[in-house]
Amino acid sequence: MKLLLAEDTFDLSRAVAALLRHDGYEVDQAYDGVEASAFLEKGSYDGIILDIMMPRKDGLAVLRDLREAGITTPVLMLTAKAEINDRVTGLEMGADDYLTKPFAMKEFLARIHSMTRRRAEYSNKDLRFGNISLNADSFELRAENSIRLSVKEFELMQSLMMSAGKPQSTQYLFERVWHDDTETNENVVWVYISYLRNKLRSVNANVVIDGERGGSFTLIEG
Amino acid sequence: MNEAQSIYGGNLPAMDWVLNRVLSDIEVIRNDLTLQFGNDPVEHIRTRIKSDESMHDKCRRRGLDETVDSALSVIRDAIGVRVVCQFLNDVFAIADFFSSRPGIEVVECKDYIRRAKPNGYRSYHMILRVRYEGGAPSDYDSYFVEVQLRTISQDTWASLEHTLKYKKDIADAELICAELKRCADELESTDISMQTLRDLIISL
Repeated sequence: MKLLLAEDTFDLSRAVAALLRHDGYEVDQAYDGVEASAFLEKGSYDGIILDIMMPRKDGLAVLRDLREAGITTPVLMLTAKAEINDRVTGLEMGADDYLTKPFAMKEFLARIHSMTRRRAEYSNKDLRFGNISLNADSFELRAENSIRLSVKEFELMQSLMMSAGKPQSTQYLFERVWHDDTETNENVVWVYISYLRNKLRSVNANVVIDGERGGSFTLIEG
Repeated sequence: MNEAQSIYGGNLPAMDWVLNRVLSDIEVIRNDLTLQFGNDPVEHIRTRIKSDESMHDKCRRRGLDETVDSALSVIRDAIGVRVVCQFLNDVFAIADFFSSRPGIEVVECKDYIRRAKPNGYRSYHMILRVRYEGGAPSDYDSYFVEVQLRTISQDTWASLEHTLKYKKDIADAELICAELKRCADELESTDISMQTLRDLIISL
């Protein structure tokens, strides 16, 4: 996962970047607003950390240009305690969160995790397990044959694949996949598990969904 | 058509007999499955004896002499039966049924349902060799019959794909082909969901 860090204080930038890299992120560092905008034009990021007070072009201007260009990448603003108006303006201009300096690294990291988590859940990479792959763009389930899943089938399959080998309860799956649906009940999980079992068979998958009606389900090789 | 001119020679009455033999076998399994599940597994059946013209074309395309022997003992789809079923499992039930019929040998099966063709085509193809036990004179004691089994959705898809295949110069042909493949995969998904629901209903 790739982040842009725009922070003009060299020491702080270095410390934050080291922390993020240690945590597994890829980090590009910009030291003023012009440089930040240049990075944003060239590449895409999963999250942006934007200092408000920067030379040449301030963080709010970078943010405004970004949102005007239609880029919805999540932004965490870094502000000084006194900059209340900037914080409000920033949030109204489309920043997702802010943190006032000085901040605890632990809190900073927690906010980055929370900001990038949602994005990770919807990232468009293929999930793979055994001989099957699941494409998040097309909802195509593929092994030796291919088939298209419906939205709910896809979300259920995605959940099973992201925790392959680990059991997930009917209640958990119901809340994860049908959280926005007030018209149905937990029995729907069994129907969709049944669909997926037959669809896995139809693509000659070497993985199966283990489990019984109302219980926990686990995707296993077998 | 005058018999002397037909590529099938004097075998047409025997071929008709063989075709009817296969159809009456399908009636047997059709009745069995209707009793078992309460509804007729077969939506419709189409039959054809390949026309003289098509058979001559096919011989030429395959570099064969245009003879009775090429038409009936080298080429194996002179007699064709297409059975269109409601549910996927009906397709496999009818296919299984043919493996245990007296006088019928299953020569070859191609399962394009479990392994769809790259364009998305799905169907279950069988070549049967059916013993001829009719009274009319014939050159052979058995005849090949090609049986194609598929669901209504698979049949609908195939007929659209067939239409497009013979339409020249389609704009965005690549996009249309990719979309057709997507439709095939979506229809298959729905077929499987319907089969699953049917199984759930029956198990209640």
